This record gives sequence, structure tokens and C-alpha cells, in this order.
Amino acid sequence: MTPERFETLAEAYGGDVTRWPAAAREAAAALMAEKPAWAGEVLARADDLDVLLDAFVPPQASADLAGRILVGAPRSRPRWAGWLIPGGMGAGLAAACAAGVLVGAQLHGASSQPSASDADALVAVVGDDDLGLYLDEEA
Amino acid sequence: MGDSDEELLSRVASGDPAAARAVVGRKLPRLLSLAGRMLGDAQEAEDVAQEAFLRVWKQAPKWRPGEARFDTWLHRVALNLCYDRLRRRRELAYAEPPEQADEGPGPDRGLQALDAARRVNAALQALPDRQREAIVLCHYQELGNIEAAAVMGVSVEALESLLGRGRRALRAALIDLKEA
Repeated sequence: MTPERFETLAEAYGGDVTRWPAAAREAAAALMAEKPAWAGEVLARADDLDVLLDAFVPPQASADLAGRILVGAPRSRPRWAGWLIPGGMGAGLAAACAAGVLVGAQLHGASSQPSASDADALVAVVGDDDLGLYLDEEA
Repeated sequence: MGDSDEELLSRVASGDPAAARAVVGRKLPRLLSLAGRMLGDAQEAEDVAQEAFLRVWKQAPKWRPGEARFDTWLHRVALNLCYDRLRRRRELAYAEPPEQADEGPGPDRGLQALDAARRVNAALQALPDRQREAIVLCHYQELGNIEAAAVMGVSVEALESLLGRGRRALRAALIDLKEA
């Protein structure tokens, strides 16, 4: 290894030769044995900068950061979920949910005087008694 | 010896909460170290870490062992997120230039010169992004030269050049700290 290459490696990887590329360490050691004073100076200069760089330690993370991250981790489905929703039943359940949302939206959007078509639609889904309660409350 | 990254990812994909906790415990400090030093801002580093883990959770079921090292992939993901933020900062700075951007040493900055950590952070942030990236990967993250070059998508020679230029600039910026 030439002295120039030794300096280039110190400039790039710092003053600790164990952090240099593995392939270069043996040749570096030979040069250090041959020119100990010069090599020591080169490494000390690089090491001074390493020490300065190590002064910058990022602040500690918030205590709840790991918890916030774990919220998004994949979760296994509970075993009963596979039993309850095998294949087509899942689609049926989804359709029932969608119907519920539709009814909810209609209930929410209904004025104090629901139209006949609105009332018919609600009767079809929630039944006479439930609709009666709803209309009494709104009156 | 614990599970390999690949084994943990496979368990994460099957919804094992202990594996997810283990991945976070193993990788979060390194992600924060990387993003904290790339961005110089603790809050933004946390945001990057959170976003990076969202991608880990998404990627876990698709991870194919042997295709790439998980650590290399994760560094690349986090660096891309850092670069998105650095780009946004530049756009904002262009639209609204800061009133005072000078962070260098000066005759009336005696107290600041004593604050080595702050000075090093400021000097790192003042480097061109690629030089900072090289120094963060090799010095702080302690990646080997081949892995760091792979993360950056450059040759080892180019990595060494970026490291050398970056370190020379840092030495010049911090020379008064060394003399203090």
C-alpha cells in the first residue's frame, strides 16, 4: 500500500483501522510497521474528527414512539374469525353492514316529515314497530 | 443467538406481535440514528421512523429471503423518506427564505462553540446531501464500504470520494472546536 492510499483510506474511513475495508487492513498494518510515526500522525488526525463526530448523539425518542409504530403491525385474525366468515359468508356479512350504513344514512338525513317513499323503504328494512318509534320521536 | 431478520419478518407477516416488537426493538434505534443525523431534527426523525415501519409491515408478507439484506433495504427506505423531507424543506425555503440561516462559528458565538453536538449537527446539515449520507452510513451506522455503496447505489470508489470530501469539509467547519 502506498502512503497516499493509506491517507485516502484514513480520510474516508477514519482513524480506526479496524473500520477500514477488510481487504486493505493487512497492507495498512504493514505500512504502519514500516512508518510508525508518520502513520500514527495520519491516524491521529483522522481520529480527532471521529471524536468530534461522536459528540453528536441524536436526542432520545419519545417514550410512546415504539407503541405508535406497533399499532400498524400486521395482526393475525382470531381463530373464530375463520370459522364465522368462511368464504361467501363474509360477503353476506359485508352486504348486511352496507345495508345498515344505508339505513343509518337515511335515518340521519330524514326530515321531520319523511316522504312516503322514505317511509316505505324504512319499513322494508327495520319493520313497522321500530319505524313507529322513530316517527314518534321525530314528531 | 436470536432470530434472523428474515425469520422475524416471516413471523411478523403471520401477525405475531412478539416478532413485531422484536423488529422494532432491533431496528428503531438504528432508524432514529440514521434519520436524526440526516435531518438534524428529532421530531422529523421520529416521523421517518414511523413511516419506514409502515413500509416494513406492508413489505413483510412479500419479503423473499435471499433477495436483499433487510437492513440494506430498510436503510434505503429510510433514506428515501429523508430525501423527500429534505426536498420539501428546500421548496419551502425557496418559497419563504429563512430570516437567519447562518449557523457557522463567529466572534460572538463563544458559547455556541462549546456546544459540540450542536455544532457537529449544523456542520453535518451544511454538507451536500450525498456527502452527509456517506458519512452517516459509514461512520454512524457503521456499514461496511460495500454495503454502504450498495445502499447509495454508487461504486466503492465513489463512496470513498464522498467520504473524503465530506470529512475534509467537516474538519474545516469544526477546526475551532478541536483547538478549543
